[in-house]
Amino acid sequence: MKIEEFRDFTIADYHHLFKEKKISPLELVNLFLERIKREEDRIHAFLFVNEEEAKSEAQKKAENPPDEFPPLWGIPIAIKDNICTRGIPTTCGSKILENFTPPYDATVIERLKKAGAIILGKTNMDEFAMGSSTENSAFGPTYNPFDRRRVPGGSSGGSAASVCSLEAPLALGSDTGGSVRQPAAFCGVVGLRPTYGRISRYGVVSFASSLDQIGPIARNVEDIITLLEVVSGKDNRDSTCAPYPPFGKSEIPAPEEIRKIKVGVPREYFPSGLEKAIGEKIQEALEKLRGEGIEIVEVSLPHTDYALESYYIVAPAEASSNLARYDGVMYGLRVEGDNLQDMYFKTRTLGFGKEVKRRIILGTYCLSSGYYDEYYLKGMKVRTLIKQDFEEVLKNCDLLITPTTPSFPFFLGKEVKDPYEMYLNDVFTIPSAMAGLPSVSLNCGYKEGLPVGLQIIGGPFEEGKLLGLALFLEKLLALPSPFPGFKEDNNE
Amino acid sequence: MKEVISLQELKRIAQLSKLEFSEEEFQGFFKDINNIAAHFEKLNELDLQDVSPTSHLSWSEPPFFSDEPRPGEGREEVLKVAPWVAGGYFVVPRIVDKEEKRNEDRRV
Repeated sequence: MKIEEFRDFTIADYHHLFKEKKISPLELVNLFLERIKREEDRIHAFLFVNEEEAKSEAQKKAENPPDEFPPLWGIPIAIKDNICTRGIPTTCGSKILENFTPPYDATVIERLKKAGAIILGKTNMDEFAMGSSTENSAFGPTYNPFDRRRVPGGSSGGSAASVCSLEAPLALGSDTGGSVRQPAAFCGVVGLRPTYGRISRYGVVSFASSLDQIGPIARNVEDIITLLEVVSGKDNRDSTCAPYPPFGKSEIPAPEEIRKIKVGVPREYFPSGLEKAIGEKIQEALEKLRGEGIEIVEVSLPHTDYALESYYIVAPAEASSNLARYDGVMYGLRVEGDNLQDMYFKTRTLGFGKEVKRRIILGTYCLSSGYYDEYYLKGMKVRTLIKQDFEEVLKNCDLLITPTTPSFPFFLGKEVKDPYEMYLNDVFTIPSAMAGLPSVSLNCGYKEGLPVGLQIIGGPFEEGKLLGLALFLEKLLALPSPFPGFKEDNNE
Repeated sequence: MKEVISLQELKRIAQLSKLEFSEEEFQGFFKDINNIAAHFEKLNELDLQDVSPTSHLSWSEPPFFSDEPRPGEGREEVLKVAPWVAGGYFVVPRIVDKEEKRNEDRRV
């Protein structure tokens, strides 16, 4: 079999091939490993390819197939490099963790393994998940598979690019202010940020603890649902994880129920600065939904315009505290100094990259004596208003639809110069993250070969309705799945 | 550029953050941080007097766990990832310098 044949595959399709004995888990893993070898020079989605372990795990599975397949049996998956994997390096895209190999698995990794998944490798990311382009990785950028001159988005750029280029059928990312949804939009794949607390964060490198969430990335909504079923649910090792059972497929309403859904379209998400073609593609999708009998109404989230500022106070403040742990004592990089203080300074100065330092400084400033009330307290109060905006509109609507990003994937190196310009990329993904609401991005069309992301936002723990509409829309749009041909002369 | 934070203040914040910068780097950060912080002033447009802050999100009562001992991660494996270990301890540079140590001894 050829990798191209998997372009429109779901997990169920791979399982069908296993059952029919048309391919074995080892042969499947080998096909993806070959694909990685062929494409990595051009994409650089991976920081570590788990070749040996993936092969031996697949071999074991091939030798001993169960009668009933666990949900991810034999399916390879790529993991963002801020999720701890026992015995596999976890660098977080940072020099400070370059040589760190965790002695334990994150809860999500335990659950993936239990469900039969095979860890294919660790994916590139902006250092400590701080960025929107994957250019802040200490190990070089990832390139957008649709156009190598452009960024794949970030911070889960490696995960999204690996799924887009079919180097992996599935991936996990993490989303603090849009880090799953924005790269999913830029790479034409599906990315879900679940409700805050839906998935355990035990074993995930902390960035901003009141915002961080793990999110699945896949080539279709069905696989997102399967992944969410596997990794979600209560975990005693993470007290911020909601004490609810895992998500279940049964929470997804039937298509006839979906037709009764009322969708709100917030006018603040269609500002004058929105790329025209993106606005048009979203409108086309809304028209198609309307044609199916779904009610679409305009709504308003009046504090949207303040979300970015509030986020860039709250997230760096939490980050400055979380990143205090990198001191050269217990794990990670250590640069010797004349005394303890000197060692701290040298280790952190050499270990952290520029954007991480910028956010530590910004966060320390917002929290420091004399500025706390002016910045951090204000940021948290505005967060309350943003949350209340959503609560208000979701009383009258089931779900909201917006663009995922205001622009198409930008060119590498373009926005590194002005950090604030870069922050504007997250303007549509930050508000629902601040409110802790589930949001999914899926492709709603192409313009000049580049994908357009459409975002659906729902109420807390309403992933059922959210993914139900995403499935419905995916079927309705029937777009070709991404499979950029990486010929030497393509797009260059 | 509006100066929201002074260069001197920035240097103090860098000290608190345990980060060192060259004079040139300080100038770059001075520009960046002031540019970002100037945007924060937009929040002053809002009346926040009676708004309560949201520091974290929770949808249910935070759980309490029973205070029972349970096996932790393997001690040896944890120590293996440390940069410098001796006799089962993390090793760090001397915290109390020799001069201070002598004074301490005398006081005792």
